[in-house]
Order: sequence, then structure tokens, then C-alpha cells
Amino acid sequence: MKAYIRSAAIVAPQDGSAGTPLLRQVLTYTGNRLTCAEPDYNQFIDPRAIRRMSRIIKMGTAAAMQCLQLADVQMPGAITMGTAYGCLEDTGVFMKRMVEQHEEMLTPTSFIQSTHNTISAQIALQLQCHAYNNTFVHRGFSFESALLDAKMLLEEGQKQVLTGAADEITPYSFSILQRFGLYKTDPGNNIDLYNRPGKGTMAGEGAAFFLLDSSDHPGNYAIVDGLHTFYKPAGIETIWENITQFLAANELQPGDIDLLVTGRNGDAAGDKIYAEMQEAIFPEQVAIGFKFLCGEYPTASAFALWMAARILKEQQLPAVFGVTQPASLRRVLIYNHYEQIHHSLMLLRAC
Amino acid sequence: MSDLKAQIVAQLNLQHVKPEDIGDDMPLFAEGLGLDSIDALELIVLLQQEYKLKLNNAEEGPKVFRTVRTMAEYIKSHQA
Repeated sequence: MKAYIRSAAIVAPQDGSAGTPLLRQVLTYTGNRLTCAEPDYNQFIDPRAIRRMSRIIKMGTAAAMQCLQLADVQMPGAITMGTAYGCLEDTGVFMKRMVEQHEEMLTPTSFIQSTHNTISAQIALQLQCHAYNNTFVHRGFSFESALLDAKMLLEEGQKQVLTGAADEITPYSFSILQRFGLYKTDPGNNIDLYNRPGKGTMAGEGAAFFLLDSSDHPGNYAIVDGLHTFYKPAGIETIWENITQFLAANELQPGDIDLLVTGRNGDAAGDKIYAEMQEAIFPEQVAIGFKFLCGEYPTASAFALWMAARILKEQQLPAVFGVTQPASLRRVLIYNHYEQIHHSLMLLRAC
Repeated sequence: MSDLKAQIVAQLNLQHVKPEDIGDDMPLFAEGLGLDSIDALELIVLLQQEYKLKLNNAEEGPKVFRTVRTMAEYIKSHQA
């Protein structure tokens, strides 16, 4: 069973408009945090519902609605999504009030909307979709788990599954993660991220949704041929083994990959893995990063999938990557790891 | 009642509604202002926060929260 990406949409730190070529204009951010370029949500969400939604819910719901609009599909057969952090803003509001108001007179909205599955529930509410609906909260594998579930649903006979991911960064979460040393402390901008080696990366956020379809349609973006995750590999050799075995399972050799998309994020220790892997397995392949465009967050691989799908659909590598376009753009491999713990591989093929 | 209307707009984040748009006798739920069950909970919290009133009998809810006027009357009669 093939899993076609029929449409894809984002709310991210970059403009994801479907009507203009991919990344024609790249948004730059100075400092160590990239935040979403938010659309006019009234285009995608019932204005009566917007009043109660926090930012992440609006981001996720708008990306999902836009995705369905692009496919001209009113009702998916199932909804799956991944989020690592869930609805942080509402969680923060609710917990702050718990403390300040001594657990008295707490408003229900922030409590109800602090749960991780609020976004997929809001999408279902907007659509009045009573079908299968599942949210995966698996840290750096959250999106991959949602995508795997969507692929399995197609294999079981579903025709169309809406799948995606969303994560936000709030002032609270940013300051906590910064204290953990996740982000760079030197001033700089996202375009120069890979020229600033050292410890840490830039924080990011975003929502991305995809309509997976079991049948071929004119205008489909790409086919998701394979998906593989591995957790805390013992060493670099284990990573190489996972990649070569994944390719072999898909009856491919490294040379069959036209474009490699890696999760380089400017953190020297994490980026070393990508550099060594590329040198060992894909010395001839064109490789590009994506986290200088969206920042680092646990479901950033969804942005990579959106970007790779658009590249395959448009058959054009945007100039921002500064690489020569490969002679053929048929197969793309996305390799990402989050914090060197959660590693994932996604294999895409042009339709 | 104008204060109460402003509090309702703020508590429920009714972005496209001005306090003066809410009629004294306009139904708050369904075909009137279109509020729902989550809003009802928010209104209970509003009564507690702003007027220190606790709605002890849940069955009173539909009567108390029918319109701004019924809410105002409830507040007035319980604030002695």
C-alpha cells in the first residue's frame, strides 16, 4: 500500500504558502529563538472558536485546515498527530492560577486546553469528524509515531488520513530549556546557524499537517516509502547500520538517494553525527539542512517532511540552500535526531 | 448591568462582541449570544471571582444564566 502525500501545510517560522515557490523569501531571526510567522487565522478557523484557542491550538488547527483545503477534502477518515510539549501556554496559565489563587476559582478553559490531545480534538470539532483520532506524545518520536499510525491505517484500508505535528515554545519553556544549555548564547542569526559551531542550537516551533492518501491523484506531492526510528544508538556504527539496513529494506543503495536532508542544528556534538554519517555512507550525495529555517524542537522532522515533499513536488531546490541541484530529484532521505537520543529516517519518492 | 456585560466579554474573550451589543434580555446561550457549556463554567467562576458568589445548586444554572438581567438579579439578591 502506497502512502501518497496529497497535500501539506505548515504554520512555521517560514512562510509556507502553497501559491508561491518554496522558500522564495526566507525569514531571518536574530538571537536564539525562531517563532512562527502566523497567518490570519480567520481564514482557516471558525471565528467563534478562535476566542478560546491558545496559540499552539490555532497554529495546529490552521495548518490542518489549510492542508485539507489544498487537497479539497472535507472529511478525513482518521486524524493522527504528534506533540512533545502539548499545549504549554494553557498549562502555564492553569498552573500559575493554581498557585496564585490557592487552587480556588480556576477557570476551566485553560485546564481543558492544557491536555496534549487538545489540538487534534479541536480539528475534529471544527470538522465534526467522529472518526479515529489519536495524539502521540513520544518526545522526539512524537511525529514519527503519528506518521507510522497513519501509514498503518492506510494499510488497514483507510483512504485518507490527516496526520501532523505541532509544538510551541513559550517564554517559560524557552527560559527553562535555555537553563539546560540547549541554546546558543552568542548573538547571530538563523541563516548563519551552521557557521557558528559550538554548543547549543536555536529554539524553534511549528505545526505541519499532511493528508496521506492511499491512491494516486494529480498534484500529489510525494510518496512516503519508508519510516524507521531508533533510540539511543550505542555508537556511530549502530547509526550507520540502521541507515544501511533501512535502505536495504527498501531495496535501495546509498547511491539511489538523490538528496539527503539532515537535522543539523548548529550544535557541534550533534552535527558531528551527520557529518560522519554523510562522509561514510553518502559521500556523493547533495545534503541540505532544515533547522536553520525552523529551529530545533522535538517535532521538527514534520517541517523536514513538509519541505522535502514540496521539493519533490516542485522539482526545484530553493537557492537558500546554496547547493547545486542534483541531476535527478526522485528520492529524498530525511535523517534527523533529537538530542542524539531519538533518531528517525523518512524515505520519500517523487510521484 | 453594563459592568457585568464588560466582565462577560472579558472573561469569555468574546473578541467580536462589544458589551453594548449584548441586550439586557438577550439569551446568553444557543440562539442568543451562542455561548456553550464551557462558557457556563466560566460564568460560574466569574460570579465567584467578581462577586464572591457560589452557585451551590447546579439546577439554578439555566435560570441564573439565561440573560444578563437574570444574572444581575441573582447577584443583587444574593449580595446583601
